[in-house]
Amino acid sequence: MAKKITIDPITRIEGHLKIEVEIENGKVKNAWSSGTMARGFEAMLTGKDPRDASYITSRFCGVCYSVHQMASARALDAAFGAEVPWGGTLIRNLVMGAEYIYDHLIHFYQLSALDYIDIMAIAEYKGNDKELLAVKDKILSLVKSNDTYPLTPRYEPDEFCVNDPELVIMAVKHYIDALKMNAKARNMGAIWGGRTPHYQNIVVGGVTSYPDVNQVARFRTMLDEQAKFVNEVYIPDVLLFGTGPLWKLAEMGVGGGHYNYLSYGAFEKEPNGKELVFPAGVIVGMNPAEIKIDKFDPDKITESVKYGWYKNNKPVHPYNGEQVFDLDKKGAYSFIKAPRYNGKPMEVGPLARMLVAKNPDIIGLVKKGAKPGAVARHAARAIETKLVVDACYHWLDQLLIEMTKPGFKIHDTNHWNPPEAGMGAGFYEAPRGALGHWIKIKNKKIENYQAVVPSTWNASPRCENEIRGQYEESLIGVPVPDPDNPINVVRVIRSFDPCLACAIHIIDPQTNEIKKFIIE
Amino acid sequence: MNELVRFSKNLNSIFEIRGVSRRDFLKYCAATAALFGISELEFTSKVVHAMETSSKKPPVLWLEGQDCAGCTIAFSQILYPPASSIILDKISLRYHETVMAASGDISEKVLHETVEKGGYVLIVEGSVPSADDRFCMIGGKAFRVILEETAKKAAAVIAVGACATYGGIPAATPTKGVGLNKALPGKTVINLPTCPVHPDHLAGTILYFLTTGKVPELDKIGRPVMYFKETIHDNCRRRAHFDAGRFLRDWNDPNQKDWCMFEKGCKGPMTTSDCAVRRWNDGISFCIDCGGVCMGCAEPGFYAEMTPLYTAESETSKRFWAMRESNLTDKKNS
Repeated sequence: MAKKITIDPITRIEGHLKIEVEIENGKVKNAWSSGTMARGFEAMLTGKDPRDASYITSRFCGVCYSVHQMASARALDAAFGAEVPWGGTLIRNLVMGAEYIYDHLIHFYQLSALDYIDIMAIAEYKGNDKELLAVKDKILSLVKSNDTYPLTPRYEPDEFCVNDPELVIMAVKHYIDALKMNAKARNMGAIWGGRTPHYQNIVVGGVTSYPDVNQVARFRTMLDEQAKFVNEVYIPDVLLFGTGPLWKLAEMGVGGGHYNYLSYGAFEKEPNGKELVFPAGVIVGMNPAEIKIDKFDPDKITESVKYGWYKNNKPVHPYNGEQVFDLDKKGAYSFIKAPRYNGKPMEVGPLARMLVAKNPDIIGLVKKGAKPGAVARHAARAIETKLVVDACYHWLDQLLIEMTKPGFKIHDTNHWNPPEAGMGAGFYEAPRGALGHWIKIKNKKIENYQAVVPSTWNASPRCENEIRGQYEESLIGVPVPDPDNPINVVRVIRSFDPCLACAIHIIDPQTNEIKKFIIE
Repeated sequence: MNELVRFSKNLNSIFEIRGVSRRDFLKYCAATAALFGISELEFTSKVVHAMETSSKKPPVLWLEGQDCAGCTIAFSQILYPPASSIILDKISLRYHETVMAASGDISEKVLHETVEKGGYVLIVEGSVPSADDRFCMIGGKAFRVILEETAKKAAAVIAVGACATYGGIPAATPTKGVGLNKALPGKTVINLPTCPVHPDHLAGTILYFLTTGKVPELDKIGRPVMYFKETIHDNCRRRAHFDAGRFLRDWNDPNQKDWCMFEKGCKGPMTTSDCAVRRWNDGISFCIDCGGVCMGCAEPGFYAEMTPLYTAESETSKRFWAMRESNLTDKKNS
């Protein structure tokens, strides 16, 4: 007899997400992912000055804030016919690099780690490392004062929870250190971004922040500190856990899904834009023995609204995305639409990027027997953080060379004013995965604006062909021995680094009739 | 032991008042221990333990409605004192969707229990959809209902960010997001607008409340006067260029680098906040410093009255310009 459980809210993610699973014989048999909050930014942008879009869409999400600014600026660049000078691209890449470093750190330590450790094992720590003893003291004093929020309450630790006191106490110390490190990474981005969350310097045609040598030196010094933490703490932690106590989870491939991966590609290394830190590509039904990469074709993207709270429409390309709210639609269960590539659901994010790039470290883990799943996702995220750190050094060197050239430019000033009409797509890779913004301009104003964001791909509901979305599919077969303690479910979902606020789209207000909510 | 508890209680309050951090206190303990010739570690852990088990930390509930979590991220950015120390040492953070270990039913239970007892600080991020409750549901319940129930027994309510204060960007969308000014009419709310909330504004407000037990002095629209008293324009480093009529037109020209951003749409003249003095990210920079413009996010009119953002063509900008032409914009001595 299957038992259905609902986890609402899924916490330690961005946004509001509800997950329902049906459990039979201790395993997930079926799953539904449901976005439960909507704001309606895109509808609001209609009729506005196109340049507002990069500022407004940054507010899609305060965690991966400026990736939207970036994708939006790229869509505007295309629609305005602006050519971003290499200096502008370098600064864009550097501030985005800073965002990546912070975002991946906060995801692993602040949002995920608590699912993998039994925090109370700290009490058994017998070592005499002063810093670790201070952590032990701290946690024990919380326990004694009977106030261990927000670290508890929690799901009960299961067989996969690490309970070696030495490991746990180190993880908690790194949790506290990482909180400072990711704040510092954001300060690094603010050197040119102005402030965080939400940078202020990325606009159509390039950036607004004219750099000086001191800023380059400051960025580099702060990057040194980040590099040290990534190389000496973050990556070793992920590998230690992933190949040690969590290896069984990795081997089981818990949280695999459809094994379809998509990367739009991002981060130019050279002015010609050919060589990318993250190459673009598509993998369909991955065979680990022989990974086949197809070319990415943006025309193959469609969005289905069959199970979304939108008026029914057949799947269309985002350029023609027009939906109307229908909160009373029978069978609908999410504010998230269902994007498909060539009709197939795709996983986007670090794992997709590293597989598409055929990154030797991640391929090595797969060859060792780790199946793509929750653990591999964390590993891919750590590995690519290092790639971004290394790329930042490369961009700083390039920027210094560029700055000393006569006629150094950061902005295409000739294309600052909106065109009479135009359209453009902006593709980018956010920390959470493939991100696309599409804009149509008419009479110098926005006629239509659409964004298909990483969590829309990952958290999507079913589509016309009844194919489950990637979260839903990845939950199938996940062990849940105790329905009251579905810790594996939240582990799998969190491994994607969900970001729901941006995943939710909206509509044309004119035709919207909102009816009374009937609780069935 | 009792004596030690009493001693540390007194110490605790003395240190709190003097703004001594835990770290400084530990150092002090170590020095004292050395003075008395006892093991530093033993002494430190005993005193600190007594101190911390004897102090009751105030419960805090943090609700997220139509939000982007940007204010949460801003909160996690506080380095002095570090956010971790605020969360672990100063407050008892019972509910915060983005931070807490609990999920699903367990998290909802904690919320319920805390509300039952009352006397907590309520922090709200994100707006409330006024067009239809179903635009924001958490744990199967409308956010509006959760907010109303939670606000009833709160000792203090702090609205963080543009959305929770006056509606912000969601106010201009079909979901008609409203801030607490409309969602909780008649309730005293400390408003900390800007998009996102300034980390210092939030840390300072929390610490002010914990230290004095009072709400800081608020202006007419509920913003603490200590942070919101003069316009950004009045304190802007580029003010002299404005007065001289030098406006930035080309971001590529190093000579124009520090000129006034008004022609690019800067809303600094119509925006009250201490951004230009305090700056952001530990003083590294702020919107205008990076060659960007102020969007007016500290004002109730944000975003609807501030668009278009990147030109001086909004009604707000035109009004200001007309005032300037009539010489009405000299520095106010209010």
